[in-house]
Amino acid sequence: MSDSRPILNVWGAELSHGARKILRGVDLTLRPGEIYALLGPNGAGKTTLIHAICGRMKLSKGDIALEGQNPWSTPVCRAALGLVPQNIALYNHMTVAENLQTFGRLAGVRGRALRDAVARAIHLCRIADRENEPIGRLSGGYRRRVNIACAILHGPRLLILDEPMVGVDPDAREALDGVIRDLRDAGVCVLMITHDLDQAGDLADRVGFLREGRKVMEGSPRGLITQAFGEELEILVQLDEDPDSNDEIVLNAAGLERRGKTNVWTTLDAGGYATAGRLDSTLRRAGVTPREIRVRQPSLHNLFTLVADWQDAA
Amino acid sequence: MMFAMFRVMLLRLLRDRGALAMTFLLPPLVFVIFATVFAGSSGENIKLKLVIADQARTPASGRLVEALLQDGHLRSVPADPSTIKGVRRQVREGKADAGLIILSDPAGAGTPFLIITDTTRAMAAPMTRGRIQAALSERLPDVVLSKTLSLVEPVYDPSAAQQARARAVIEGVRDDVQAGRAVPADQDQFAVEAISGAGKGRGTITYYAGAVTILFALFSAVNAAMTLIEERRAGVADRILAGAAGMTPALNGKFLFIVLQTMLQACAIFFVAQLIYDTQVRSHLWPWLATSVCVGVCAAGVALGIVSLHRNRDQAQLVSTFLILLLAAVGGSMVPRFLMPPWLQTLGLFTPHVWAIDAYQALLWRDAELTSVYPAWGILVGIGLAGLLLAHVMARLVRR
Repeated sequence: MSDSRPILNVWGAELSHGARKILRGVDLTLRPGEIYALLGPNGAGKTTLIHAICGRMKLSKGDIALEGQNPWSTPVCRAALGLVPQNIALYNHMTVAENLQTFGRLAGVRGRALRDAVARAIHLCRIADRENEPIGRLSGGYRRRVNIACAILHGPRLLILDEPMVGVDPDAREALDGVIRDLRDAGVCVLMITHDLDQAGDLADRVGFLREGRKVMEGSPRGLITQAFGEELEILVQLDEDPDSNDEIVLNAAGLERRGKTNVWTTLDAGGYATAGRLDSTLRRAGVTPREIRVRQPSLHNLFTLVADWQDAA
Repeated sequence: MMFAMFRVMLLRLLRDRGALAMTFLLPPLVFVIFATVFAGSSGENIKLKLVIADQARTPASGRLVEALLQDGHLRSVPADPSTIKGVRRQVREGKADAGLIILSDPAGAGTPFLIITDTTRAMAAPMTRGRIQAALSERLPDVVLSKTLSLVEPVYDPSAAQQARARAVIEGVRDDVQAGRAVPADQDQFAVEAISGAGKGRGTITYYAGAVTILFALFSAVNAAMTLIEERRAGVADRILAGAAGMTPALNGKFLFIVLQTMLQACAIFFVAQLIYDTQVRSHLWPWLATSVCVGVCAAGVALGIVSLHRNRDQAQLVSTFLILLLAAVGGSMVPRFLMPPWLQTLGLFTPHVWAIDAYQALLWRDAELTSVYPAWGILVGIGLAGLLLAHVMARLVRR
């Protein structure tokens, strides 16, 4: 991460829809050459914050400076911004190259500069082999890459990615991760909204948790995990099938919690492998046979659950 | 930036064969159908189908039936069976435009003719009446004279010698007609003069060319303007709005494209009108082009304005179709305005259709001064710019 001047500053951002407060004093500072993942449950205020940064909403209180200027009152500063919407925001009746030329022109790039920008975007996003194909014929992963390419033609210093991995298979995801890292290495600041905590953990230099309009935690993924869990390790118990109500009582009594809607049950414990062995015996004695028990470092999933629990407790 | 959006719209149209056909093939086709139907019904080519039942069966009635069967302005057929009931059934079933029952001898007293018509064919009764009177005066003048004499004789009380001379004159007239010596045209008291000269095209044709142009211009414009909603749904609008220029160039690009699309559509319709009906477009090319630009501006503005008010395609489609059809009906794109009651004609002035049709007619049919179409141009452009302004305002609101 570079230590240069911030490209984006958000100070005490507050925004309300009628009586409902969407943002309650969010601060954010982003610098060139970093990937920042903005995390949080639905309704946390992530999209509203992005809309405010893009100059589409006026803050009730606080201020935003994109390259030193407010994007709401000084639209010209939005030239420093590139947005990759969650949907595939492309023209299906046009080829990859035609889309790139169109969005380049709409961003104010023309002539030789446009040709160079298109070539650079095609290279960065690794789409040269499908340049002349209509968007409708591309796979989901390729469309995502073109979606990103169309947002970088005017050389934005801040690239906002809204859920860039929705509907993408693992291979395509790996390729997209590479594209995002290349952009970061080229000096672009990437602000990523995602529900994919694994991707955020892998890619982001910093993450910020937003909940009910407040930023409740911010830092590097590893730093935050260490700070929150210390020496604790995550123990994952994988079951073959859905446990019945008796099994659930046993699993809960052993201190395990179900992860989402999966058949994976987890707990955090400093005992690590020793605790895992004890758990295995306890469960088998009670008639619950795990298919697999794994021990690993805690991830952003655990942090996310922890943050949610804090808030619920509060 | 504006031309980037123009190119997007152009490629969208060129790569969609269905949209191409709907935009450039269907309007001329509909125009030809309308022109054929309405030019025929209001012009000199109309041929009424008349079914005739001769219940009198006198020599005069027989001569009248023969005269009507030979009338080139009618398609007359003798009724079979020749009863009132049979004639009524044929008219009711739409097999004939009108029916004629000859109840008694045309030369005799009383009311010898009964005309049967359907109320939906308002012109059929007077036209039938006119053709019967023409047949009587041209082919049976002796019958008319004889009838007139029978009315006059009681007043003047002619002597037997005078009556004999009068009968001789009547018989002479009958012999002349039967021998083909009488020239019916010489006896015609009416001369007809068309208000447009030869080669000036026909009013009805120009009317429907204009009517179909504005109707389809609006439909095609709404279809193109729907891209506003598609772009919003796909996230393209988010991408554009995040840019420094916002939606302004994109909207203007769409507007420009729709104006051009309407002009090309008008070209297709009036090309057919010129080719088939000799509508005088070539000799009024520049004023016609200016009118088509104004129609394009109007259609583009109205379409963008309507679509920008809606959040989803179904809603926009429903409202725009409702509005366009309503405006077309009131504005005279479906039925000529002169057939409408006065209050509806006045209401029509609030639609762009009336002004578009009027401008085309003024230039191509009435051969009017250019200054007389300025108000129509002004109103069309005004409506269009108001719609565009609305679309820009709505785009700013969507930004929020």
